[in-house]
Amino acid sequence: MTETLSLWPLAAVLVPAVGVLAIVASRRNPNVREGVTILAALSTFGIVASLVPSALAGTPHVTRLGTLVPGIDLTLRADPLGMIFALVASLLWLVTSFYSIGYMRGLNEHSQTRYFAAFAGSVGAALGVAFASNLVSLYVFYELLTVATYPLVAHDESDTARQAGRKYLTYTFGGGVAVLAGTVLVFWTTGTVAFTPGGIAALASADPVVARAAFALLAGGFGVKAALMPVHSWLPDAMVAPTPVSGLLHAVAVVKSGVFGIARVVLDVFGPETVSELGVGLPLAAIAAVTIVVASVIALRQDNLKRRLAYSTISQLSYIVLGLGILSPAALLGGLLHIPAHAFMKLTLFFCAGAIHVETHTDDISDMAGIGRRMPVTMAAFGVASLGMAGLPLVAGFVSKWYLLIGAIDAGTAVFAGVLFVSGLLNVAYFWPIVYQAFFQTPDDSDAKPLVEFPLGGSRVRADGGERVDDSDAGDAAESGDDLIDEVADGQDGFDASESPATAAVDPDVEPSAGESRVEIEAKVDGEYAVDRHPSDHRDDGEAGGDAAHAGDGAPDADHDPHEADHDHHGGPPATGWEARGFGAETTWFMLGPITFAAAGAVALGIAPRAMVFLAMIQRVVLEVTGVTL
Amino acid sequence: MTDALPLLVVVPIVLALAPIAAGRLRENTGWIAAAVAAVVHLGLSVSVALTVRSAGRVSYAVGGYVPPFGIELVADGVSAALVVLVSAVTLAVVVYARAAGPRSNTFYSELLVLTAGISGMFVTADLFNLYVFLEITGLATYALVATGRSPAAALAALKYLLVGTIGASLYLLGVGYLYISTGSLNMADLAGLLPEVGYDSPLILTGFALIAVGLGVKTALFPLHTWQPDAYAESPDSVAAYISALVSTASAYALFRVLYTVFTPAFDAAVPVALDTLVVLASVSVVIGSVLAVLQSDLKRMLAYSSVSQFGLVVAGFAVVNETALVGGLVHLVGHAVMKAGLFVAVGALAAVAGGRTIDDLAGMADRAPVVSAAFAVLALALVGVPPAVGFAGKWHIVLGAVEGGRWIVAGVAIVSTLLTLAYFARVIERLYFRDAPAPAGVAEQPDATAAADADAALTADGSGAGSGGSDADGTPGVDAGDVPDADAVDAPVSTVPMRARLIVVAAAVAAVVLGVFATDLIAAFEPVVEVSFQ
Repeated sequence: MTETLSLWPLAAVLVPAVGVLAIVASRRNPNVREGVTILAALSTFGIVASLVPSALAGTPHVTRLGTLVPGIDLTLRADPLGMIFALVASLLWLVTSFYSIGYMRGLNEHSQTRYFAAFAGSVGAALGVAFASNLVSLYVFYELLTVATYPLVAHDESDTARQAGRKYLTYTFGGGVAVLAGTVLVFWTTGTVAFTPGGIAALASADPVVARAAFALLAGGFGVKAALMPVHSWLPDAMVAPTPVSGLLHAVAVVKSGVFGIARVVLDVFGPETVSELGVGLPLAAIAAVTIVVASVIALRQDNLKRRLAYSTISQLSYIVLGLGILSPAALLGGLLHIPAHAFMKLTLFFCAGAIHVETHTDDISDMAGIGRRMPVTMAAFGVASLGMAGLPLVAGFVSKWYLLIGAIDAGTAVFAGVLFVSGLLNVAYFWPIVYQAFFQTPDDSDAKPLVEFPLGGSRVRADGGERVDDSDAGDAAESGDDLIDEVADGQDGFDASESPATAAVDPDVEPSAGESRVEIEAKVDGEYAVDRHPSDHRDDGEAGGDAAHAGDGAPDADHDPHEADHDHHGGPPATGWEARGFGAETTWFMLGPITFAAAGAVALGIAPRAMVFLAMIQRVVLEVTGVTL
Repeated sequence: MTDALPLLVVVPIVLALAPIAAGRLRENTGWIAAAVAAVVHLGLSVSVALTVRSAGRVSYAVGGYVPPFGIELVADGVSAALVVLVSAVTLAVVVYARAAGPRSNTFYSELLVLTAGISGMFVTADLFNLYVFLEITGLATYALVATGRSPAAALAALKYLLVGTIGASLYLLGVGYLYISTGSLNMADLAGLLPEVGYDSPLILTGFALIAVGLGVKTALFPLHTWQPDAYAESPDSVAAYISALVSTASAYALFRVLYTVFTPAFDAAVPVALDTLVVLASVSVVIGSVLAVLQSDLKRMLAYSSVSQFGLVVAGFAVVNETALVGGLVHLVGHAVMKAGLFVAVGALAAVAGGRTIDDLAGMADRAPVVSAAFAVLALALVGVPPAVGFAGKWHIVLGAVEGGRWIVAGVAIVSTLLTLAYFARVIERLYFRDAPAPAGVAEQPDATAAADADAALTADGSGAGSGGSDADGTPGVDAGDVPDADAVDAPVSTVPMRARLIVVAAAVAAVVLGVFATDLIAAFEPVVEVSFQ
């Protein structure tokens, strides 16, 4: 491929960086500051879009910036694979900027300058990741991305937010350290770390032990940001950040940089042939498959909408890694196409969640029955995106899934096709109830959600409905929480073991027997689930029990500002039910516009994938790497 | 102009006498002398660097006596870079001390003596001469630590004196052993004589061990580091910045010279166990230094243990004995000096505004001191190893060198040190930015009016001796009440960071990033030395 020397790739990275300075400089005038953000986003997208034709034609733009360390250049190259990520990041930054304005002003958030500046810095770093032409340059921008996104994760400055920030730093720097180790190994073995489509030739003939170790370190290190299990748990905790952050960064930019790193490793460092010779493709695909299924199962149990979306993200990201692990050309194409497809769909979902939060302060699914009356367009977009996540035709998720299925069967690993089918079913299982209850139910007449409400293993009820007689020490705190229970019941205050369930404020339908795990007892007593906080009216006392439980910051859904202890109602429909709002009146257009744009993008990618430039770009990538035209 | 080499030492020493002599006539001549010396020193070091750049290795025979009989001063790529570093740090500290640090004439005299000692350590090519400068450095440092004026500072200085003297004596013993076996004290000469005696001769090995331990004490490697936390924590901020940047750096540089110019890599080939032991000790120092740093709540102590860890990394780079690792060690030596000086100045400035010295006291300081906090964050992340700053460049080479040398454990330790360093810096950054400041306990004017008046006078007037000296409570000419008792528990906080401190910290942060971006140029300066060492 012949390269065109130009400054445009550097400009694409520098414009957001300059934007950071301009945003900080204009901190006293919020409108100017927001204007700077929009202007920077627009220019960045313009620059990136202008690099598309040359990337497609095989003459990518290159900026040479000198030597970073002896033997390794700092070069930015706008090649097709990088352009995929860069287009997604820059376009969706523009969309998210508008959304952020609506969101931050709607909630009257603090530290908005820091927020917008860190956002711009993050996107600049993401573009650097996209355009980096070797592993070390990618590492530079990868670490800068971590540094730039940390203030966004810890934005709330509450205890939960700080803990989430610390966890985020630990995980992502740990991953970065592994990437560095892998990079050193590659450099030592081959003398180069430059991205070569089809892989660095010397790695094919290198010592297999070293090569496998390098692959494991690189894939593992990038896998932290790609939220592969078991290093995924930073992502649900990072949902404490404001929703635009969760949306763009943790569904689009940060996590996509992780899968992008894995894509670079598989396609441009090792190459599909070397990966399959070394035998590391199948373990990668297996880890991805496990992540897909297990994350979807965990998502079924989440009541907090953002946490459910977080686990959905973890699951969907592994579609991409699965495609990269299966290694057949169609699978590669499907996996890479899922990068923009999932980005549009997940961003829509997060935008909807954020809009719901801003407008109604509702975070839990069990509070959202009938919300379609209040926010019709939002929930319609949510429904459309959910269809795409499940892989139904006409929405983006179908196209990528189609190629993934074909690729799985091509490679002879039909079990992965089965995994994809199961995942589709699970997606329906955790998205459909939200959409259904939004439009077809009301707060008074909503179904129970056994997967969310009831404890694992079922509740201890006798066949005739009475209480099971067990030994009655209520302090029998039994099992230590496993991961699922911990993730479900974060942040609970200390449970007073001597308080027997019978004297609690909330009197649930079923008496929990003493043998139940203390988590379920706590959940029912403290009212962690909305259904327990607003129980039906056969209860004895009329208290809206469990108010004290959510005055603190401990609840996992605390992504609103810390000074909201005056809410004794944690969100949910007003007493008279949701009020109907007409088209365009449900929320500000700053938020509604991006929601519809993202949803429309998801549909456009599904209906006319060839017209949207991503598919052509990805076909070019697959051609360069494998020589196969799809 | 090879005469610049001895002048690097002579000028500070001569000017160190000026405040003492002129102090009879005027107060506050110290600062002028120090400023003049710093500027002249900078000019000299730049000229040395330029000479080295064009001519390569430069040599000077002291007193005209031909080495190896006489004392030789040598400047090559490494020492030239370090001498420029000395000038820069001296200038920065002199500027900073005008506002923040002790202001007595004796302080400036001691500082200049220290400058002379350190410059001497960097340019000497004679082992015994190195001992002389080592002791000069040590004595000046002991005195400077004691200017903290509190009982704790005195104790810290005493501890440093005892431990440091033992270290220097061990070094002297080692030099003595080498002298007995070869008859020469000149570094380059010894490199030729030692193989004739035999690297595995007990005399030589013992000499090496004694020298290494002695210099290890001065570099503060674990477990020889015990003097350092107290010395850094109890000394005034300007002193801590200076000694953290330069004193241990000079000792580590001395170790580099001993390892590569005197003993040469052939020693490692002949007796691998010696340097293997050093590698192990250095790696242990990296880990334990970081762990101890995480346990600290006092900021300066944390930075002291951080130095223990970082110098472990540097010495590990030296002791792995291949070119890449050596380059990494040298780059990290220079980079760490810049970063640590900046960090100490930043911590001092932030602590002065916050009114406390612990990590928790810095909660919410990013609002009150945004520039210094941002620069602190940049420096901290640079030390963690976030590219493109200089910390990454050093670490990359050390790791690569370790991998090339088959030292997997060292490579692993160096890589994990990133996370360990993050562990103790992330807490501070989190406190600065993501916690709310506690309710201010009355940001009042300092009750000590003399100190306040001194501060004002020092900032506004230009050494008007009568003005600030006259506001002394006791008025004795020797004791200047401008010795702000920094080591006291809680000073009344100042309302804003002085501009000088801001400038210095931002300059340090910028330098750390620039050095990292242009690391290849720095490495190019080191290359000739590295190649010669491995011939």
